[in-house]
Amino acid sequence: MTKTPDDPRLDLLQGTLDMLILRTLQWGPRHGHGIGQEIRRQSEELLRVETGSLYPALHRLVKRGWLKSEWGVSEANQRAKFYRLTPSGRAQLVREQDRWSQLVRAIGRIMNPAPATEE
Amino acid sequence: MRTPDDVDLEDEIRSHLELSIRERIERGEDPQSARRAALEEFGSIAAARDSMHRVWYSRWFDAALLLFQEIRIGLRSLLRTRGLAITVIVTLALGIGANAAIFSVVRSVLLRPLVNRDADRLLYIRQTAPGIGTENLTFSMPEIGDLESRVKSISAFGDFSSLDFTLVGFGMEPRVVTAGVVNGSFFDVMGLRPVLGRLINSGDDGPKAAPVVVLTHRFWTTELHSDPAVVGKVIRLGPGNATVVGVLEPSVPYPTETQVIANVVTSPHHLSATMQKERWHRMTDLFGRLAPGATLEGARAELKAVHASMVHAHPESYSARDRVGIEVKTLRDQIAAPAHTILLLLVAAAAIVFVIACSNVANLILARSVRRESELAVRAALGASRGALRRTLLAESLVLCVAGAALGLLLARPLVAVAARYAARFSVRALEARVDGSVLWLGAGLAVVAAVLLGYVPRLPSFDRSNALNPAAGGIRITPGTNRRLKIFAATQIACSFLLLVGAGMLVATLNAMSTANTAYDMRQVLAVDVPPPAPGAGGEATDHFFQEAMRRIAVLPGVDGVASGMVVPWRDEFRHTKIQFGFEGYQPVSGEEDPTCMFRPVSPRFFAVLGVPIVAGRDFTDGDRPDTEPVAIVSQSVAQRLFPRGEALNRHLWLDGGFEPSRRRIVGVVADVDDENVVQVPTMTVYVPWWQLGEPSRLFVRAAADPYALVPAVTRTLHDLSADQAVERPATLADVRTQVLTPQRLNAFVFSAFGGIALLIAVVGVAGVLAFSVGARTREFGIRLAVGCEPRQLRARVLREGTVIAAAGILVGGLGGIALAWLAGRLFGVAQMPGVLPIAGAAALLVAAAILASLLPAVRASHVDVIQALRSE
Repeated sequence: MTKTPDDPRLDLLQGTLDMLILRTLQWGPRHGHGIGQEIRRQSEELLRVETGSLYPALHRLVKRGWLKSEWGVSEANQRAKFYRLTPSGRAQLVREQDRWSQLVRAIGRIMNPAPATEE
Repeated sequence: MRTPDDVDLEDEIRSHLELSIRERIERGEDPQSARRAALEEFGSIAAARDSMHRVWYSRWFDAALLLFQEIRIGLRSLLRTRGLAITVIVTLALGIGANAAIFSVVRSVLLRPLVNRDADRLLYIRQTAPGIGTENLTFSMPEIGDLESRVKSISAFGDFSSLDFTLVGFGMEPRVVTAGVVNGSFFDVMGLRPVLGRLINSGDDGPKAAPVVVLTHRFWTTELHSDPAVVGKVIRLGPGNATVVGVLEPSVPYPTETQVIANVVTSPHHLSATMQKERWHRMTDLFGRLAPGATLEGARAELKAVHASMVHAHPESYSARDRVGIEVKTLRDQIAAPAHTILLLLVAAAAIVFVIACSNVANLILARSVRRESELAVRAALGASRGALRRTLLAESLVLCVAGAALGLLLARPLVAVAARYAARFSVRALEARVDGSVLWLGAGLAVVAAVLLGYVPRLPSFDRSNALNPAAGGIRITPGTNRRLKIFAATQIACSFLLLVGAGMLVATLNAMSTANTAYDMRQVLAVDVPPPAPGAGGEATDHFFQEAMRRIAVLPGVDGVASGMVVPWRDEFRHTKIQFGFEGYQPVSGEEDPTCMFRPVSPRFFAVLGVPIVAGRDFTDGDRPDTEPVAIVSQSVAQRLFPRGEALNRHLWLDGGFEPSRRRIVGVVADVDDENVVQVPTMTVYVPWWQLGEPSRLFVRAAADPYALVPAVTRTLHDLSADQAVERPATLADVRTQVLTPQRLNAFVFSAFGGIALLIAVVGVAGVLAFSVGARTREFGIRLAVGCEPRQLRARVLREGTVIAAAGILVGGLGGIALAWLAGRLFGVAQMPGVLPIAGAAALLVAAAILASLLPAVRASHVDVIQALRSE
């Protein structure tokens, strides 16, 4: 699925959050709180996901069919809603990853131009 | 994928918070601060839930949901006041149903296009004679020839005349059909196509062509079951055979409904010299198609000019007194024209019913909203916005109106059937009326209009805080303003009902006068039977002998008291050419006046005895009055008295003007007046002659000793024994003929009485409702009155007086409105008929009685108020 250009919610930041969620779920199902903590841990506390953005994002991804949610019991024996990737979610993760690396490359070229093209 | 509901969303938030708290506790925070920190970190729970909710549900969905909830609440609160809800729904259903039905008919008559090709250029031309009160004189062939050869703005003319023929074929019993006889360009002018075979074209014109017929669609589908093999069949039509060449597409039958349409050669009458040469022999309707570039106005002017010069060229054929003229309209307008007034009336009646229904419902809702003012006030005090309150009211009235509309549209179906049959007398197109999608839209539209109006009728509670919540508001408080509004609505209903009732009363009075009018005939014992010759003019001596023999044989059947024959069944048969001018020996018309015009009725001997018409003087015709004996006549009393006031009519001579007959007839008898044209008898000048001498019998009259209908099989068998192919039709007693003839009046009276009855019913409910409410709201006042010594009887009288005043005001306004309407109708259509005293007085009395009846129950309740309870109630 590609982005529709006139969807304001899917700006860069939001797209990034979706990608991070998908990435976090790559190795198995997690509940919402766990996803937030994981992003925080992996980014070495640099990224802090507001719960106010995390949960709508999760629901949006479920609505698009990239995630599936079901109620389960956490490792600490607490009831929680778990999210896991669907096959189409997996495919979407690959697409997002490609797009991300392209974006990084492109921005990298602009910010750190190669000496050969310098005047 | 299951859509999560709000409970699910909140569960998820809670579980998040628990996980977060647990984690903090595990990290060593104390439970209290862990909880606080987790909540702080999370932020607004409501906002989070809403933003998750918004992922799944759009704003529109939420708005609809809200309204749905309001509707559910409304539904529940209406269920609690079931009586009110049912009254409102039924009232609205009547209003909307009546409008939907009338609208269907109006649409099919006035708004739907004709199937004819290019119907805007299809004209109907008629000759008028205002001098003798004839709107449509029709045309004779020489007249059509004149117009055809000289009018240039009409590119082609189609002519149509109808005759009854006996049809033998298709494996059916011999039966009489009405046949249209047309020229070759008729179908081209009409712009109609065949569904099978071909139509009649120019190759079928003239006396040398082969006789052909086209079947009308209705005849083909209903009688022949749409038999596809019908083309090419040969049938006997009247005196000769004709080949079926095609079937016409469904179209509006005008000027008359026929079963078949034939070319000219099929009808001997159309080939006769009379038809071809005589300018006075008018029986043909004329259609035309505008030439390219010509306009209706241009064609009208040219037709008038050509017609005027034609009249000028033949002064002998056009009496100045008749003032013969010509008129042209598009066929569509011509068909719709007679229906305009009646449809307008129907639309007005339906609209009045809708107004009554709405004002009644407004009343009920107003009363209810006053009763729940305190409920609304509490909601307002708890922070409900004006919009929210209005939405509640709107949702409730929407529920009511939609239910009303749904029921109304169910009602519309049978109502359309009644209304269509009713309006079909004025325009055949009414029969096409159906309940369809557009009516649904109308119903929905009316419901929404009513809902919005009704939603805004009640006032919202005052938003002035000091006043909003009155702790004493346990009972109902009623402001003078509300009371006045209630009474105005009630009076409106009475006024509208009054109008409808007077209208209905007029029609009922007319009907009553007609069905009880005294006719000179013996109504119950006389059976009239149509025994038509195979085709007009095809009778001659054979028919005469057939009738002589038939009468002789039927007279001796058991149960038969007498037999006679003639040409006209009273009221049922319409004979255009039976009014003839006669010259009378010894009667000199005043100078400038012409010879008197009389009905002309050929009859058999014993005709008067069989029908019960008394012979005043002289003798009846006898079997001795034969073609070769002295020509004789019998006249009605009006002739004798008007022309021979000194009683010397007997043995005078009379003669038919125009030289139809060489000899003079001697008057041998005078009989009582009978009017066989009008059900309500008027003095009629009639000349009777023996048909054996002049005319051709086609109707049989049998006087029965007992049940006339028991004779029908024997009579039919006798006639078929004489001639197997003889059609025998429509046996009915004269009483039943009159009943049939009065069907339109009956229907008229029925439709308007129905409207009036509906209106009356609604108005009674309205008045009763208003008074009941007003009494309920003034419990305290009545309590005080009783406490200070007022008699219960006085209270009762007071309430009754209130009801009567409402009724009187309504009747007064209705009367004034009626006068205004009649004046308007007079100005617009020139048909102002003022009702008699009886319908007005009757309607007024009925309404006052109904109002008193309606106020009886509230009055009794007022006088039974418990004083202590009433005083304590506030």
